[in-house]
Amino acid sequence: MIQTKNLSIRFADGSGIRYRDMTFDDGRSYALLGASGCGKTTFLNLLSGLLTPAEGSVLVDGRDIAALSPRERDRFRIHRVGYIFQDFKLLEELTVQDNLDVLRLEGVDTSDMDTLLDRLGILRLKRRRVRRLSGGEKQRVAIARALIKKPAIILADEPTGNLNFETGEAVVQTLLDNAGGGTLIAVTHDDRLAPRFDEALDMNGIASWRSGREAE
Amino acid sequence: MLRFALKSMATRRAKLVMTALSVVIAAGVALLAYNVSTQVSEGIVNTAAKYDIIIGPSGSATQLAMNTMFFTDKPLGTLPYSLVEELNRSGRVNAAIPFSMGDSFNAAPIVGTDPALLEGKAVKSGRIFSAPLEAVAGSAVAAAYRLKPGDEIVTSHGLSGEGSSHAETPLTVVGVLARTDTAYDNAVFTPVSTIWALHDHGEDHDHGGGDEDDAEPHAGEADAGASDAHRDHAARETGDDDREICAVLVRSKSLNDYAALMSAYGDNSDYLAINPNTVLREVMDNVDLSRTIVYALCAVILVMNLFVVSVIAVLNMVDSRREIALMRLIGIGMDKIDRLYLLQNAITGAAAVALSLLFAHLCLLAMRGFVASMGIVLNAWHVYPAEWLILLGVFLLTLLPTTILTRRMARQDAGATGH
Repeated sequence: MIQTKNLSIRFADGSGIRYRDMTFDDGRSYALLGASGCGKTTFLNLLSGLLTPAEGSVLVDGRDIAALSPRERDRFRIHRVGYIFQDFKLLEELTVQDNLDVLRLEGVDTSDMDTLLDRLGILRLKRRRVRRLSGGEKQRVAIARALIKKPAIILADEPTGNLNFETGEAVVQTLLDNAGGGTLIAVTHDDRLAPRFDEALDMNGIASWRSGREAE
Repeated sequence: MLRFALKSMATRRAKLVMTALSVVIAAGVALLAYNVSTQVSEGIVNTAAKYDIIIGPSGSATQLAMNTMFFTDKPLGTLPYSLVEELNRSGRVNAAIPFSMGDSFNAAPIVGTDPALLEGKAVKSGRIFSAPLEAVAGSAVAAAYRLKPGDEIVTSHGLSGEGSSHAETPLTVVGVLARTDTAYDNAVFTPVSTIWALHDHGEDHDHGGGDEDDAEPHAGEADAGASDAHRDHAARETGDDDREICAVLVRSKSLNDYAALMSAYGDNSDYLAINPNTVLREVMDNVDLSRTIVYALCAVILVMNLFVVSVIAVLNMVDSRREIALMRLIGIGMDKIDRLYLLQNAITGAAAVALSLLFAHLCLLAMRGFVASMGIVLNAWHVYPAEWLILLGVFLLTLLPTTILTRRMARQDAGATGH
């Protein structure tokens, strides 16, 4: 279970975002809806431990992520979280296989790679360099990298961002089909996808922006 | 980790090759300078150590030392062979070895001497000469012309290898010396009596193409008329004994004997008596000065190279910055990234260092012929302990800039790595 309590973040310019307390149950899927700039991506970064909150806590199974050391947060991210970034964050000069094998540096077992790539329909691209792939293929590689470690938490930032509705719907379905019992939290601005998830949350009602002066 | 490191390196191979090449050139030059200067110094010291006096006709001390120790340059002139007998009779010497030079076999000098000159030199095949017209070939000469015991060689007058041929009196190779990495590898040795046989009085020679000014003074030829020393000596001859040599290499029995011999022959205006160690040390002083200059230049090159390597490392890091940031985002720990890049830098550094060593010694191999003409044979594959130290230093210097940069980047908070 993931719980956020009294969570807020402050940026360098003094502005910040305060989030309403939330709870995400194990094994369920959540769509975080909202327009661009409402704080959805920042929320995912706080959940993954990439950003440290100014106040409050992110509790994963009762353990506060914000209180972990940098190394512990790395371990949490590599072993518990599968993060699908909006711009994929792939090693473009390396092959699909290398992009998954990089996780082996941290002891992640990638022996199921072929099965997973096959399920995602990109097994034939295994030895191709990522920079030679289409946007949709890259997205599937990013999904594969997130899922190969069988994470307890899957965070997806605009997984349908650059896709038409039909393709986006298929990607979401792929994510849901391959989540493997993990908690899926996907950020999207396309509310037509909401019915696919167990729960859809409107970030406009969850995140409230504060200017620098208000924060003071 | 190694597999991933190599794959990651392959994506930046052009810059890594540039890094390695700049290291190879700088470190290779440093190694080459050190190795050549050390081998030349050692060659000079080792060669000169066997004799404490060399007696030749009056003239240049350096020329006499270089001619008798390294078989280079022309002999100063001639001396009567009776001087050797006189020295042996004096009771002051352990050895008085005649030295004669003036003919050549394909530009390799023919040295007329006693078997004593080859004492301590291992024979690879055959035996040391024991009769006139027998010859022992140095290892490099034997290798170059595939000489073996039983072969006949035709010598020519003069040291250029282009003089008139002694085809009517070929020498028989009876032995081949083992490699010594000294001037002995580049010469052919024969009894001094061979030289006399080849140059009977009255024999007409054109002295290597007829250029009388360039002709070497030649032992055994009282009428050679090529040098003042020769003419002086010719005037001194009694006519009873026309056996001549170019110099005598002496090992005196004691310090007192050394002083007495130096006094007797050094003060004689007909002769020049030198201590080869002293003369060659003066030559070495000049070599040392050159070596200091070379080392200073190498240090400058190394420092400049470190700067170049640092610049290339920064450029490499620009490429790597994204890779490091991505790895940090997906949770690869700082320690793993440190190790990954350290491994990559170590592979690059090790390859560069290994290539530097190869580059330096291939250059040595290419220089062998040139240095051999000065009488010193370089062992192209001899590596001095100091070279390993230089390589270790270069390896560490190569690692330093990239490692510092990587560690700084890897230590950034994952959230601040460009997400």
